[in-house]
Amino acid sequence: MIELVKVNKTFDDGHKVLKNINIFIDKGEFVFLVGPSGSGKSTLIKLLLKEVEPTNGKIVIDGKNTTKLKRNDIPYLRRSMGVVFQDFRLLQDKTVYENVAFAMEIVEAQPRDIRKQVPIALSMVGLSKKSNLYPKQLSGGEQQRVSLARAMVNGPSILVADEPTGNLDPEMSRDIVKILYEFNQRGTTVLMATHDRDIVNAMKKRVIAIEDGVMVRDEKRGGYFDEA
Amino acid sequence: MKLRTTKYFIKEGTSNLRRNKVMSVASITSVIAALLVIGIFFIVVLNVDYAASALESQVEISVHLVNGLSEGIINAMSGEIEAIEGVKEVVFVSKDVALKNMKQKLGDKGYLLDGLESDNPLPDTFVVTLTNPQKASSVALALNSMSSIEKVSYGKDELEKLLKATYVLRMTSLLIITILLFISIFIISNTIKLTVFARRREIGIMKFIGATDWFVRGPFIVEGILLGVTGAVVSTALLGGGYLYTVNLIQKQMLGFLALSFMPFGSIITSLAFLLVFVGIVIGAIGSLLSVRRFIKV
Ligand SMILES: Nc1ncnc2c1ncn2[C@@H]1O[C@H](COP(=O)(O)OP(=O)(O)OP(=O)(O)O)[C@@H](O)[C@H]1O
Ligand SMILES: [Mg+2]
Repeated sequence: MIELVKVNKTFDDGHKVLKNINIFIDKGEFVFLVGPSGSGKSTLIKLLLKEVEPTNGKIVIDGKNTTKLKRNDIPYLRRSMGVVFQDFRLLQDKTVYENVAFAMEIVEAQPRDIRKQVPIALSMVGLSKKSNLYPKQLSGGEQQRVSLARAMVNGPSILVADEPTGNLDPEMSRDIVKILYEFNQRGTTVLMATHDRDIVNAMKKRVIAIEDGVMVRDEKRGGYFDEA
Repeated sequence: MKLRTTKYFIKEGTSNLRRNKVMSVASITSVIAALLVIGIFFIVVLNVDYAASALESQVEISVHLVNGLSEGIINAMSGEIEAIEGVKEVVFVSKDVALKNMKQKLGDKGYLLDGLESDNPLPDTFVVTLTNPQKASSVALALNSMSSIEKVSYGKDELEKLLKATYVLRMTSLLIITILLFISIFIISNTIKLTVFARRREIGIMKFIGATDWFVRGPFIVEGILLGVTGAVVSTALLGGGYLYTVNLIQKQMLGFLALSFMPFGSIITSLAFLLVFVGIVIGAIGSLLSVRRFIKV
């Protein structure tokens, strides 16, 4: 569950990037966040991760008001959300397996849980056979699948993806969205910022559009453009 | 903290060191240089303290009495002196005993003093030992104000010079040691900054997948402590060897009486090792904490 109430974000340089944003995303929803370049999509995702603080307003995640969170509690907020970025952000000197296991080592999981969960996560993204390769030896789509496995291996209730298909060709993009959809079917709330109109139009999921920092549309089963 | 997390810190910390070999060696060398100087000051201060306390324990005031006091008066005076603040012990040495002592000292030339028994020129004396050499002047003052006393004497100037010298030495070494500590922390922190910088992308990834600040810092702290402790071990070995060599040399040079007032090697090497390793750990940890500060705020 994600809730933004009257959220504004003005950067130090006076740039108003988000204006009075009100969003409520229920548990298990699949939501696309669309809008032109520079409209504030990434900033909104950074607010959820507490990489950026809202100027005012309230952000509630899993029932917790994150605006009141102390610095030491931020890691635990981030553990409740899986995150995927356009540029994959994998560790180049670790294998596929090690990259995914690392997310569990960081939260000090039991080694026997790591040995059990990592192969499961890798099979969910279809990479069981490539677990000993390094990111350099993978295609972009495969790298993004590794980062999806890493985001999901600790079983977060929310998955946030900032243009996960931004660097991928249409075919690979469809694979990634298919995996996101599978995660969603298993109960994970998914929020995906994207420019990919084909995907948005094909999925017929909830669409939230922002333009110039203002929320201009929130449709239950929407397309990339406003059809009304 | 869990054991496997500690293992992870140590594994990553040592691999940081290996990845950064040249800088690691350079910074260990600087730490050794700093710790050597710190260690030398420590050894000098310890030895001067040792010599000073040996001297201090010998500080005594001798009180010469006027001639012909009765036993009753002498007993009363002894009690009065014992009551003075800072006095540990009062021993009365009568002029007869003093003469005998002198004769004994002269050995086979003791006959020179023959015949003095009937007209003994030596005074009756109280030998006063002190609880604390710092009290010497105030005790001497109190003694001077008593009656029936001819002369109060102690190694005033020598003692004061020594006390002043140890004080100046302590303060100077404290200052120099503080400066060196800051320099070592700066050097370690700069070395680790290179690793931190090389791994800034990794730190960013760790932070957004939910690593705590301490988890991110761990390997760098290990790296810093390893730099500090390696420097400490090497400099302890160098200083220990140097100390043995120097003390031996001085003893061989027929300066044996000097070596007597050196601290024994065994007691100096343990406190030195503890001190330097402790200092190494502290500067390593502080240096690494300083270097991650900037990159951890994501
Ligand atoms: N730290 C910052 N300081 C000042 N302005 C910023 C900062 N970060 C982002 N902005 C501005 O905020 C606006 C929105 O940026 P944001 O990255 O959220 O857009 P976006 O919708 O994700 O765009 P894109 O689709 O190109 O990724 C941009 O105009 C950007 O210049
Ligand atoms: Mg963006």
